[in-house]
Amino acid sequence: MGAILKQYSYTPEKIIRGYSGKSLYINVSDLRIEEKEVTDFMKEKFIGGKGFDLWYLWNAVTPETRWNSPENEIVMSVGPLGGITQYSGTGKTLIASISPLTGIPIDSNAGGYFGPLLKFSGWDAFELQGKSDKDIIIFIDGNNGLIQIEEGEEYPEDTHLLAEELTSRFAVDENDMVNVSVVCSGSAAKHGYMGMLNFSFYDPRRKLCRFKQAARGGLGTILRDKKVKALVVKYKGITPNLNNAADISTINKVGVKYHKEMHDLDSKQNKMRQIGTANTVMIMSQYDLLPTRNFQTGGDPETIKISPQVFINEWLTQGLHDGCWYGCTMSCAKCADHFLLTSGPYAGERVTVDGPEYECVAGLGANLGIFDPQAILEENFYCDTYGIDLISFATCTAFIMECYQRGQITQEQMGGLDLRFGNKDAVLELLHQMSRGEGFGKLAGLGTRKLKKIFVEEFGADPALLEDIGMEVKGLEYSEYAHKESLAQQGGFAMATKGPQHDEAWLIFMDMVNKQIPTFEDKANALYYFPMFRTWFGLVGLCKLPWNDIVPSDNHKTSEPAKVPEHVQNYVDIFNAVTGQNIDNDELILQSERVYQFQRVFSVRMGKGERKDDYAPYRSLGPVSREEYLSRQELYDKQLRDLQGLEPESMNLDEKIAKLRAYREDQYEQLMDAVYRRRGWTMNGIPTPERLKEIGMDLPMLLEVIEPKL
Amino acid sequence: MPCWLTETRTILTIEHSKRERNSSMKVLTHKQELCTGCLDCEVACSQAYFKTNDPNYSAIRIIENNRTYRARKCTQCGECINMCTANAIYRDRNGVVRIDKKKCVGCLGCVGFCSELVMFYADDLDVPFKCIACNICTKACPTGALEVLVSQVKEF
Amino acid sequence: MIKVNTEDYPWQPGMTVRSLLDERLFTFRHIIVRVNGEYVPEEHFDKSAIHDEDDVIVLHLMAGG
Repeated sequence: MGAILKQYSYTPEKIIRGYSGKSLYINVSDLRIEEKEVTDFMKEKFIGGKGFDLWYLWNAVTPETRWNSPENEIVMSVGPLGGITQYSGTGKTLIASISPLTGIPIDSNAGGYFGPLLKFSGWDAFELQGKSDKDIIIFIDGNNGLIQIEEGEEYPEDTHLLAEELTSRFAVDENDMVNVSVVCSGSAAKHGYMGMLNFSFYDPRRKLCRFKQAARGGLGTILRDKKVKALVVKYKGITPNLNNAADISTINKVGVKYHKEMHDLDSKQNKMRQIGTANTVMIMSQYDLLPTRNFQTGGDPETIKISPQVFINEWLTQGLHDGCWYGCTMSCAKCADHFLLTSGPYAGERVTVDGPEYECVAGLGANLGIFDPQAILEENFYCDTYGIDLISFATCTAFIMECYQRGQITQEQMGGLDLRFGNKDAVLELLHQMSRGEGFGKLAGLGTRKLKKIFVEEFGADPALLEDIGMEVKGLEYSEYAHKESLAQQGGFAMATKGPQHDEAWLIFMDMVNKQIPTFEDKANALYYFPMFRTWFGLVGLCKLPWNDIVPSDNHKTSEPAKVPEHVQNYVDIFNAVTGQNIDNDELILQSERVYQFQRVFSVRMGKGERKDDYAPYRSLGPVSREEYLSRQELYDKQLRDLQGLEPESMNLDEKIAKLRAYREDQYEQLMDAVYRRRGWTMNGIPTPERLKEIGMDLPMLLEVIEPKL
Repeated sequence: MPCWLTETRTILTIEHSKRERNSSMKVLTHKQELCTGCLDCEVACSQAYFKTNDPNYSAIRIIENNRTYRARKCTQCGECINMCTANAIYRDRNGVVRIDKKKCVGCLGCVGFCSELVMFYADDLDVPFKCIACNICTKACPTGALEVLVSQVKEF
Repeated sequence: MIKVNTEDYPWQPGMTVRSLLDERLFTFRHIIVRVNGEYVPEEHFDKSAIHDEDDVIVLHLMAGG
């Protein structure tokens, strides 16, 4: 245990209608600790969660702020519904900061205990600013009203060791372990830009710490740059109405109804309780949507080796509640227990692997050409404990592999690593190098955008090809969905404010398979509604999975089954029941749109929120290479014929590729026009003062940023 | 390492369910042919535990169908034990399924998951409640329709 | 010719909902099928005949990430 550097006593506020009314500010440069009021203005315009995060972050930074400037903040908040126990998915914390990968705000969410325990300790939000000169641990004791900052040099770096030690340290006995939650990163976060944050919770059945991740954007890199080794919160005494809801009866009723639905229907639907989000892997491959070998194709016959059934039968413990927050009967946080590691510093040890999630199987598996479940689980474990965003890692490594495959970089330039598709040993070695900050691993951790520049300038690679196949927008890597044939999803990714993360829109089936959004206007409407709806969860503390990863038995009879109206009504009812307000579906969207537009203007302010920043690499829009064209030749030839009036029989392959490309790039431009119109933006992607006024966000600070750009 | 995890890489089953096999449990039983629907059992239960004469606070519910009466009460099947999100449900030394009030967070998952619909809750209670085979209702029953018997725990 | 999700698709005599799903490789479990606006429950897929010029909607309710 290190020396105590600072102690601060406070009186934890009671939570009323979901809010404590206070936020915590800690500056680790001078160990200043302050309490701030959460104002009515904040609650009205920003609600909580991501809204509060972005509000505080805006006020902390200037347009000149870099990710590693001392004034950059990591802000976290759970939201007014966070911490209720009666419904599924009510423990999501939202975290925001200026990202090392993009230079603009990133927001990322993590399930688990930290956010609720933080709120019940008296804090609606927590700002972490400044930079310490030595590693520190910050401890928040919500029962005793104490904040303690102590030296943290002697604690291990890697999460699975660090969190276990800290949880044991601050819990008084075995039963107390569930009352402690740790936020930390890992050894790789000191070296690259894709460091992520692990959020721990203690699993009383397994008797060990488990982890959810706030993965995207490099938040772990920022934490370690500030020399904060871990945040620890402790709160004992969770009861069913710590939020002091206005109407506990409705919350209970809706909760019981939902739990019953889960009990009756999950095993017939997505089997979330058995496999979690990886249940979609086989389906995605069957529909040609599983990103394979750097998004070149949509699947592979070998996918059967990493199908959900393989994981259920051979790797994942079945039959007990797995987390992540109390009351979540979707319980999708699966584990491979007693897993034997074969590489790296922990080789020979048996560990619990938190996963695999869909992104892991798709990204660390198919997209790297790896169809070996044991390898995928080991990659998952090391990404987690090293503190690496496995989505960015997977998409970036896939890019490296294709560059190598196409002779753009050599094995020698990679320090001897034979990073061809399918080489799991090389991938694991790359992870270990990222942890040690050595070799090619040091470069790889910088992310796809930086690597493109390095490969061109230092290794002589072809810049045009790399622009086409490096799957990133605004500096953030794409998440793991093959979407070459879905114009709507192309827009959903590239026009997303933070970068191509699918939390805004997941429209692939609606677009490509169901054909429900055929016109530009249809797509633009979907690209308005779904991002607005989906980002609402992040304002209030909810996980989106319980919304549509299970549906009521009569959902098919509703007029818009994709929106799962009964579940939307559940959320409206619960929001009103907790807060005492009286919102409806429209107000829900409006709440979300206020923060959505705020985030877009914030991105404009930080330099990447305009039309030029919303373009996609061509691999996202269509076939870059001859093999890709040939893999879907019938479809593409038909499109040349039907949509462009051309005669593919009389064209050579390169001509066809070029013509298709010109068509698709033009389609994308037209989509941008339609989406910008629908979102109330100028044709340059800037939110208009009229739209801001309509939604009650014509704040002087926002108008000041957009006016010069109109 | 938790004692109930096995060393193998096959499906990890829950060891304590194996330990439970061949162990016994107390369970409340009800004979329809003796029941007159007087509801004295409901009164006795809700009075004993919640000081109120309200069937919504009784862990036994008598359901009438055409002047025959059946009783809904916990069968001690234990399905709720593994799904409890707070690890608060366990079998006591009589094999009766109990909720540890110190661990329960009132998520009501067990209420929603109970296949028999015999886990009950009320808005003013922090913790759900169920029949714990305590014999209070059997003593109150005027016809002997209710009896606590010892049964085998079924593997699930 | 029938329509499947608004697009033309060739019809053959003897086509059922089940045979169409198999042909189109619509293997996803969680789908909603409507023929000429009428919902067809899963139990009837094998028996439900599809006639020439029918308008078939196969909605996949994929939640996604």
